Amino acid sequence: MNAVFAGLAGVGRYGLWVRDFCRALAAHGPPQGQTLAEAFRIGIKSLPILLIIAAFVGTNLALQGYNAFKPLGGQRLVGMFVSLAGVRELAPIIAAAMISAKAGTEMASQIGVMKIREQVDALEVMAVNPLAYLVAPRLIGIMLVLPALTIIAIFVMLSSAYLVSVHQLGLAGHEFIQFASESIEPIDFVYGAFKAMFFGLIICTISCYFGFNCGKGPAGVGQATNRAVVTSSVVCIALNYFLSEMLYGGAL
Amino acid sequence: MLAKLATIGRFGLFAGGIARRAAQRPVFYREVVAQLWTTSIRCVLPVVAVTFPFGMVMALQGLEIFRIFGAERMLSSLISIATLRELSPVLASVLVAAQGGSSCAASLGAMRIKEELDATEVMAIDSIKYHVVPRVIAMTIACPLLNIAGSIAGVGGGYFTAVYLKGESGGIFLAELWAFMGPMDVYGGIIKTTLFGLTIGLISCYHGFRATGGAAGVGKAVNDTVVHGIVAFITLNYFLTSALFGAVAP
Amino acid sequence: MIELRNVYKSFGENTILRDISLKIPPGQTTAIIGPSGTGKSVTLKHIVGLLRPDEGQVLCFGTDMATANEADLYKVRRRFGMLFQDGALFDSLTVGANISFPLVHHAPEMSEEERRAKVEEKLSLVGLPGIYDRPTSGLSGGQRKRVGLGRAIVTEPEVILFDEPNSGLDPITSDAIDALISEMKEALGITFIVISHDIVGTINVADHIAMLYGGNLVAFKPTEEFVRLDIPIVRQFLKRNLILPEGPDEVARLPGLE
Repeated sequence: MNAVFAGLAGVGRYGLWVRDFCRALAAHGPPQGQTLAEAFRIGIKSLPILLIIAAFVGTNLALQGYNAFKPLGGQRLVGMFVSLAGVRELAPIIAAAMISAKAGTEMASQIGVMKIREQVDALEVMAVNPLAYLVAPRLIGIMLVLPALTIIAIFVMLSSAYLVSVHQLGLAGHEFIQFASESIEPIDFVYGAFKAMFFGLIICTISCYFGFNCGKGPAGVGQATNRAVVTSSVVCIALNYFLSEMLYGGAL
Repeated sequence: MLAKLATIGRFGLFAGGIARRAAQRPVFYREVVAQLWTTSIRCVLPVVAVTFPFGMVMALQGLEIFRIFGAERMLSSLISIATLRELSPVLASVLVAAQGGSSCAASLGAMRIKEELDATEVMAIDSIKYHVVPRVIAMTIACPLLNIAGSIAGVGGGYFTAVYLKGESGGIFLAELWAFMGPMDVYGGIIKTTLFGLTIGLISCYHGFRATGGAAGVGKAVNDTVVHGIVAFITLNYFLTSALFGAVAP
Repeated sequence: MIELRNVYKSFGENTILRDISLKIPPGQTTAIIGPSGTGKSVTLKHIVGLLRPDEGQVLCFGTDMATANEADLYKVRRRFGMLFQDGALFDSLTVGANISFPLVHHAPEMSEEERRAKVEEKLSLVGLPGIYDRPTSGLSGGQRKRVGLGRAIVTEPEVILFDEPNSGLDPITSDAIDALISEMKEALGITFIVISHDIVGTINVADHIAMLYGGNLVAFKPTEEFVRLDIPIVRQFLKRNLILPEGPDEVARLPGLE
């Protein structure tokens, strides 16, 4: 029971932190010229791992889809399965998970180190708001970059699924492409991008929150980094249901 | 490029060292149990917190499609197959990497930075045997256990959405759950996650044990653990899935 | 212009500051000393508004830091400069970028060349000419403190705060930092507030000494009077680092202090 209350207290503290951040943003705005650089940096750093993960998720989607549909004689539908599952659900989640693992841990760790070495206090004393200075560029950067990464993930996923389907499973390429393209609509890309931006917001605020509330010493930094990646991943996936419900539920 | 090869080489040596020590006495049983308990407790909530919503989403999207064809009753078998074969092992492993792996890397890293590992060695206790081996064993055991929890939660999430939110029949759902499943589906997941647990245990202890550079070094160890762990596992997952399920006959 | 009035501060069960009232004399150097954990850093953080007291007032230039909103807090802080224990420099920036940081944010009308000139001037003042473009990561502890001091003085503040300027330094570098602080004192003639547990350096540098012990302000006197105080706690604390001082002259003639 204590754990539940502690959890709620944590959510409350997070909420207060977000409120402080919004105020700081309203009063000060992000520092000039850093935002695009930040976005670019986050994107480039996360790209390699994103490509790898997206590729292998695609392969497994194809493998499992084939296996699942073969008993029903529907193995040619793999293209449909991969594109529906991949575009609507998996691509935004993968992009979010990778950003959380790479950029989220980096944010928590960097800010945590600054906190324990009194650099955050130094900013305060120099009358520079740390939330506006440290968090705002990262937030805007991540929200710009995640939709782009999601789109890339979609294409990589579909490509690797195609390769597996054709070269490993022996399906017809043109059928794959046909079923795949029939199942996706342009609006799905928009929804995916929207989900991704929302996930970016969650990941950045949660990671920075844990960084700012870092405990003492190297152990504190490790713990903050740890909590950042787990909490942001879990929250993104949990909220994903509600986003999907909102975007896709009852749409057909 | 060469640096990466060197890292893999060092990692291999490290893993070999652990294997050797794991077979020797003394085995610190209490440490193993303690680590197993801590890891499982820490990971079970996140694992369930992601597999349940995923089950929900599968039910949501699945129903949207199946209702077009009038094939709603196939929903539960889709969910159970997808969950047991792929989703639960993947999610459980990713979260064990993210939570168990990173807390292992963080605690070992902090110990390294604060020279506690050196202190253990000076007391003529093998620090790897005492600190590292139990953690690796614990994660190897914990991961499949968490996979089981995740599978139950995933199917539960699907059931919850299908029956309570979308009005499908609970009886049909449960009846059709096992329609297409075979023993390999259950064992496959366990095999996968045991191997993943071992991999992540080795990677996280490797990075934590070798952390340098103060508090920032600990953060980096955690970062590297999560990233490398996920990449290693997703690659393994492809090969394992091909091997285990590619040969499944209808 | 800086005054604490009846300040109380607790962290959980521990009462760190108990009814502290202290008026910092302007234009002079005040040292706050005491054993570890007695709330010296906490007092400093109250002055600059990083902490707020549970009770009492912290008046700086007429603003009560205990109740001020962010805008007022920032206005007052621009009149301060602070040297943190490890310098608190930003690792991602070079030395020059670190020192010019407050200028970039609060004096945007200055041109790049003007800023650079100012920074170079301060670097010379702290004894590190020519390292403007050096990255921060390779600096030694003593160098980090000097750069931190450069950053604290670059905005020509009215008050400079020093949080344990000698901590983590070897004795030679520690003396060098003490000498630097004395020079700054002569050169700038502004209010210094120094937190320290280094008795010798403190007596050399400070015009007034305040001692905290057990959460209370035990004594606050000009230096010459402080070293002659008959309060047992003060005597005991002073003795720890000195060998039976008979008075400030004796203290001044101890080896290494010339």
